[in-house]
Amino acid sequence: MKFLTKINRQYLKTMGFSLILLSVLGWLILRNILNEEIKENISEKEYAVIREIKNEDNLPNIYPTVETKKIAKKKSEPQMFKKVYIKDEFENETEPYLEYTNTVEIKNQFYLIIIRHSLLENDTLFTAISLPLLLLLIISFIILFLITKKLNKTVWKDFENNLIEIEKFTIKNKQKLQLKSSGIDEFNRLNKTVKNLTNKLKKDYFTLKEFTENASHELQTPLSIILLNLEEILQQKLSEKTFKLVVSSVNAVKRLSNLNQSLILLAKIENNQYHSDNVVIINDIISEKIDEFSPFFDKKNIRIKLNLTKIFKVNADKELVRILVNNLLSNAVKHNVENGKIIININNNGFEICNTGPENSLKNENIFDRFTKENSESFGLGLSIVKQICESLKLIILYKKTNLHCFLIKKVIK
Amino acid sequence: MKILIIEDETDLLLTISNYLTREGNICELAKTFDDADEKISIYQYDIILLDIGLPDGNGLNLLKSIKKYNLQAGVIIISAKNSLDDKINGLDIGADDYMTKPFQLAELNSRIKALIRRRGFKGNNTLVFNEISIDTDGKEVKVNDKKIVLTKKEYDMLMYFVINKNRVLTKEALAEHLWHDNIDLADNFDFIYTHLNNIRRKIKAKGGKDYIKTIYGMGYKFTDQ
Repeated sequence: MKFLTKINRQYLKTMGFSLILLSVLGWLILRNILNEEIKENISEKEYAVIREIKNEDNLPNIYPTVETKKIAKKKSEPQMFKKVYIKDEFENETEPYLEYTNTVEIKNQFYLIIIRHSLLENDTLFTAISLPLLLLLIISFIILFLITKKLNKTVWKDFENNLIEIEKFTIKNKQKLQLKSSGIDEFNRLNKTVKNLTNKLKKDYFTLKEFTENASHELQTPLSIILLNLEEILQQKLSEKTFKLVVSSVNAVKRLSNLNQSLILLAKIENNQYHSDNVVIINDIISEKIDEFSPFFDKKNIRIKLNLTKIFKVNADKELVRILVNNLLSNAVKHNVENGKIIININNNGFEICNTGPENSLKNENIFDRFTKENSESFGLGLSIVKQICESLKLIILYKKTNLHCFLIKKVIK
Repeated sequence: MKILIIEDETDLLLTISNYLTREGNICELAKTFDDADEKISIYQYDIILLDIGLPDGNGLNLLKSIKKYNLQAGVIIISAKNSLDDKINGLDIGADDYMTKPFQLAELNSRIKALIRRRGFKGNNTLVFNEISIDTDGKEVKVNDKKIVLTKKEYDMLMYFVINKNRVLTKEALAEHLWHDNIDLADNFDFIYTHLNNIRRKIKAKGGKDYIKTIYGMGYKFTDQ
C-alpha cells in the first residue's frame, strides 16, 4: 500500500469515527439545551397566560400551543411536563410536543393551563447535526486528495525517482549512486544513509577486485622468472629423472600461468575492458576456427555439419568472439566420441553448436560456474569465460541435451 | 645484434641477457624508465625488448623516444598484462611484437629472429643449417639444394627448431608455438609427433640427416652434435 493511501485511509477512519462520536455527543448536548430553552419559553408563556387571566380575565386558547380552562378543584400534581404527539392539520402527520400542565389559583378560581411547545424530531435533530459534519468530512477529504495528488507530483516524485535509482543500483558499476535532494529532512537523511552505504559497498567491492587483479598481474613476473630458470636448467646435462622433474615443473608453472591468465581475462570481461564497437560476423569466426581445429576433428574422425546459410552478426571485440567460439568448439571436440559429429547451425539471431558425447547430460545448474570440471586436466574455466563473454555481449547461452549436447547462443529479444 | 633490454626485475633481466648474449648478441640493460630513456637517446640498437610495466613510468611512453632516436630498432613489448588495449596501443605506436609474461626463451628467440628477418637486417632472409637451407621470404626449404614441400605447421616447426638449435625444447613449448594458447587439447602432442615424423621423413628423402633428437621422451633438441 502506498504511503499516501495508507495515510488517507487512516485519516478517513479517524474522521469517520470522530464524526459518529461528535454527532451523538452534539445531539445529546443540543437536545439538552433545546429542552432547557423550551422549558424556559413555556414558563414565560405561562406567566403571560396568568397575567392575561389576572388582568384581562380572558382565557387565551391557541391550539395547540396554549389551552386554558376553569376547573373545579386543584389537580393532585401541581406541575407536569410530558411528551405528546399531536396531529398536525397542515402536514397531516403527528408532531412531537412538550406538554406542560399546571393548575393555578387566581382570585379563588382554579385554572388548568396547558402549554405545548413543538419539539424537533430526534432524527431531524440528528440529521441537522451530522449532515454538516459529513459535508465537512467530504470536503476535507477532497482537499486531502488534491493535496496528495500535488504531493505525489512534487515531494514524492523525488522520492520515487530516487527509489528507481536505488533499484537500478549494481555493485559492479563504477558510477556512484546519484540521488536527488528533495528538501525534506527525513528523505535527505535516507538519501545520505543509502549513499554512504552504497559507496562503502562499492569501495569494498572494488578494493577486493583490484586486489585480486593486482595479485594476478604481480604473479606473472615471478612465474616468468621460475619458467625461464627452469628452461635454463633444462639445457644442462640432466639425468632422466631430473629432466622429467624439471619438465613437469615447467608444465605446472605454465598451468598456473594459464589459470592466472584466464582469471585475468574473466576480470577484464567483467570490467567491460573490451570494446564492442566492431561488427563481427560469427560465420567468419566459426569458419576460421573450424580450419584451425580440423586436424583435431580428423584425429577423432569427427564429421562436421555446418549450416551457414544465414548470417549472425554481433557488435563485439573480435578477439572475444574468437575466444567464445574457440572454447565452445574445444569443448565439442574434447567431450566428443570417436567417429562422432559436430553440428553447427546459424540463424540471424544466434547459433548453436551440438556434439555427440557421453549419454549423461551435464548438470545444468552449475556447468557455467567457475572451477566446475569433468576431469583434472582442465580448470573448469572455459564455460564460465563463455558465459561471461555472452553476458558482456548481451547474449543468452543455454545448454540442452537431446541426443546431442547443444550449446545455444542467441540475442536477447527485447 | 645489439639489443637493449628494458626490464625492472633483475632476475628476469639477467636470465634474458645471459641467454641472448650466449646466442651471440650484445646486450645492454636498463632497469628504470629514465635509464632506458637516456640509453635510447644516446645509443643505437637493433632490437629493444620493452617491459611496459616499469615502476617509474609507462613503458609505452618510451616508444615515442624510440621513434625519435632509434627508428631502425625493432621493438618487442613484454608485458605482465595480457591486455589487448596495451597490445593494440603498443602496436599502433610502433612496436613490432607483443609478448605476455611468462614466456619461454626459445619463444623470445624465435620472435627476435622473426623480427630481424622482417626488418631485413644483413640480408638475413636465408637460414642455413648444414645441408638444410630455409628461404624465409619464399618460405622455401631445400635439403642438399633439393626443394622439399612442407605444410605450414611443419614449416613453422622446422623454423622453430633451426632458430633454437642446440636447445632443449619441451613438447609443450613446441605445441604452444604451433597452436598458441587457443587450443588446450591434450591431443596436441599427437600432432607434434605426426609433424615431427613428416619433417624427418621429408628431409631424409632428399638425403638429409635426422637432427631432431628426442630427450627422455619429453623434449627435443635440434642438433648436429
